[in-house]
This record gives sequence, C-alpha cells and structure tokens, in this order.
Amino acid sequence: MSRVGRILNMTAVVLVFAYGINEYVVPRIVLASHKEEYQSLMFQCDHVMREHFIAKQQVLVEPSEMAVKNLDAGEVSLLTCHDYDKLRKKMLSFGVSEPQLSMIGLEVMEEKMTDVRHFVETHEIRY
Amino acid sequence: MKFVIRLIALALFSLLPPQVSADSFENILRKTAIDRGVLPSQNLYDNRDQSLVKLGKIFFNSEKLSLNRNISCETCHLEEFSSADGIPNAVGVGTKGKGPNRVLSGRGKFIPRNTLPLWGTGGIGFKTFFWDGKVDFLNETKISPFGDNTPSNDPLVVAVHLPAIEIGEMLVEDSKVKKYKMETTDDALKVYQLVVDKLRKQDHKVIKELAMALNKGESEVKFIHIARAIASFIRSEFKIKKTKFEEFLFEGGKLSKNELKGGIIFYGKGKCSNCHDGPYFTDFKFHIIPTPQLGFGKNAFGIDYGRFNVTFQPNDLYRFRTPPLYNVSKTAPYGHSGSVKTLEEVITYHFDPLKFAAIDKMDQLERHEYYKRLSSTSENMLHISYLTTEEVSFLVSFLESLSYD
Repeated sequence: MSRVGRILNMTAVVLVFAYGINEYVVPRIVLASHKEEYQSLMFQCDHVMREHFIAKQQVLVEPSEMAVKNLDAGEVSLLTCHDYDKLRKKMLSFGVSEPQLSMIGLEVMEEKMTDVRHFVETHEIRY
Repeated sequence: MKFVIRLIALALFSLLPPQVSADSFENILRKTAIDRGVLPSQNLYDNRDQSLVKLGKIFFNSEKLSLNRNISCETCHLEEFSSADGIPNAVGVGTKGKGPNRVLSGRGKFIPRNTLPLWGTGGIGFKTFFWDGKVDFLNETKISPFGDNTPSNDPLVVAVHLPAIEIGEMLVEDSKVKKYKMETTDDALKVYQLVVDKLRKQDHKVIKELAMALNKGESEVKFIHIARAIASFIRSEFKIKKTKFEEFLFEGGKLSKNELKGGIIFYGKGKCSNCHDGPYFTDFKFHIIPTPQLGFGKNAFGIDYGRFNVTFQPNDLYRFRTPPLYNVSKTAPYGHSGSVKTLEEVITYHFDPLKFAAIDKMDQLERHEYYKRLSSTSENMLHISYLTTEEVSFLVSFLESLSYD
C-alpha cells in the first residue's frame, strides 16, 4: 500500500474511532456519571414547580402578606429547575438522547412511586 | 471503574463553557435578600445613651442587681456561649457557676425557657422581646407586663426591667418580696426601689457615677436609670457587626458554593425568609414550630402556651417569636425550651417534625400536647417545602455566614 493510502487508512480509522467514541462512548459515560444528579434535580424541579403553582393559586384565591411571600420564595426556588434544565442541555449536547433522558426520568418516578400521583396531578392541573 | 468514568465525564463537562455563571445566582440572591429587608449592620445601630455604656457593663455584670441572691445578667448571657448560656432551660437563683455547671448542681431554679442570645437586641427596629413577646412595641399598642404604666418608651429598657423582679430568675420569694407579690406595677416599683437601695449601699461609687452621668442627685437615681445604662451596654456590646453575608451583599464579597446554595434555598425553596426576613432575619411575629417541649414549661407539667400567655387569644396558643439569626450557629441549643441540639435538627423540625420526635419516650400527656402543637402548625406545613439532607447542610452553611465575633 502506498504511503498516501496508509495515511488515508489511518485517518479513516481515527475518524471512525472518534465517531464511535463521540456517538457511543461519551454519551454512555455522561449518562452513567450524571444519572443520579439528573434524577435528583428532576425530582426537585418537579417539587418546586408544584409548590410554585400552589403559591400562585393562593395569591389569586386567598391573597395575604404570607401568600405573597410564599410566591416570592416560590419564584426563587424555580432556580432548581434552571439547574435541572442546564444539566439536561449539557447532557444532550454530549449526545445523550431524549429517549435516554426520558428513561432515567421514568426510573426516578418508579423509585418514588408514592409521588407518581403528584406527577399526574401536576399534569392534570396544567392541562 | 465507576470512579474512572466519573473522572473522564467530569473532565469532558468542564470543557463546556458555563451556560449561566454563578454570578447570576449571586445577583439573584443579592437582589432577593435586599428586597427582603437585609441592611448593612451600621444602619441598625443607634444608642441614645452612649455615655452610659461603661456603667451599663458594670450593672450587667453585677450580682448585686439580684435583690436577695447572687446572680447577674451576665450569668445567663455569657461570652463563651455567644451571649446565651448553652443549656436548654436557663437556671436562675439557687446555684452557682456558668452554663452547664448551673444544671449539674441540681439545686438551681429552672426558668422554663431557653435563654435568648442578645445579638441585635435593641437595634433600630428591634422592638419585640422574649420568646412570647411579653415586651412588644412593634405596633401602636405597646405590650408589656406594666400595662399602661410602662417605665420607658424604649422597649429594651422595659425588657431589662423584667428579670430583676422575676421570682426564681434573679430573686427568691423571701418575706420582704412576699409583701410586694401582688403583681401590680406599684408593688414592682417598690421591689425596684429595694434593688436601688441595695446598690446604693453596696455599690455607692457606681451609683454616684451614674447620677453624675445623668446630671442628677444621688438620691434621684431610680431603677429606670440603671435599666437605661444596662440597655445602653447591651446595644453597644451586642450590636450587629459585619458578616460574610453582609460583605457579599454590599461589598462584592464572595460566598462559598455551599453558602450560595444555602442562600438560594433560604430565600427560595426553603421559604425560610417567609418568617426569617427583614434586617434581623425575623418578622418579629409568632409562629408554631413543633419542637419538643423540654422541662416543666411556662404553664407547668410540660406545657408552654407561648404567645397565648401574653394575649390570651386561643389563636396564639403554642406560638413563639421568630428568633433572629445573627450568630445562630453559635447559640445552640435551639427552640423555646432548648430541646433541639443542632442547627440541622432545628431546620428539619420546620418541615419534618416527626423525624426526631421521640414519640415512644413521651408519656400520654406529652404526646397529647405534641399532637396539639403539630395540628396547630398544619397551616405552616402546607407551605414549608421538603428539603433533602444535602439542602439542609447548605442552609447550615448559609446560616454560618451570618456569624461574627
């Protein structure tokens, strides 16, 4: 094989190898190493979203100084969702797929079965 | 293997530019805290009797302030316990020593509440005193045990009056005291006069100096003047000073990552600032946190009705004043009866009171009382968030940033 051919071969191998790492290895490493953090943030974000929704309703239905304070605090607490969103975007940018993220989301719901009802309630209220 | 994977992933993650810098969180915390009333410490200090500070210190430390025993203000407000005494229920007359040593003798008279630290006491806007707010000048109607005959318009001066005539706290009920035990203002004034007479006899030089400082004759010195001097010392000695959090808010200082996270939880998810707001991290209002009752209780047999004892409003049952949070990390134990040992625990009691409550060790009455307090707090519980153990530890880090020497 000519020198040029060898170089092309090598380049092809490197490219395939890099593609493999990028497509299959990195997403799996990122998913494995950040799964727990993702699940925890997802759970917490859901929690603060529900509380924020309730605080908003309270201001509408039964306004009081404490209700307004609750809503203010609820707005700050939504920063937890920002952390969740940030991690989610990072993981996506490293090649972790939406279905994979959905799957670990479902896993956390399974782990906290008692809270599934709340997840459902949240969606019912929202829609 | 897991470690290697984490290490590689961490390295990969760190290559990504941060999408939102920590600055955003810092800015949100700064804005929220300032909106919720946190002020620079220098804005909280105003001492109308600055010239009396030195004499106030002498009276604060003097056991002669106790009419018929040997106990001073300093006995329960100790430097080594950050102006509290480090024990669950304060111990008044009948024993010696400091802090835990007062309990060990077993002879002292227990005061059924946890000693409150003095940080910020009497600063600008600080007008509600004691766990049940028995001195409360925050609203137009001034509340104090003196009724319409309040000895001063300064609530701290009024508050300073109380321990000296509290039986068990700074005096015992001997034949002389018994004569005036009618719970009227006039009788209280007579006991105060006895204290001044004692000081005039035993600490003549100090009374003379006080009279000179006030431009009065020695015979004109009354307990109100001594109380003013003590209040002046308390204002000066226990004023709010600069904290790491203040430097963060107003001078561009930095908080650690955990302190920052704790601050966001404090003003956000934890909803701590719903009650712990304003310049002293208290709304000076009365709330129910179901910490266990320790000791005999203000209402006896392990019962303490809290604010109800002042207002007689059933809605005030079991309510206690929101405690300020400056130096809170140094003033354990916590709660109105000092039944909680650590900050982690007391934070947890706000949202998960059953975690530590030793229900099986309570007798029937204790359980019944505890249930009443739990049910009374149900309204709060609706709004208080669930926190993870890690989030509680972030809150503790944040609270530590409210400390100073």
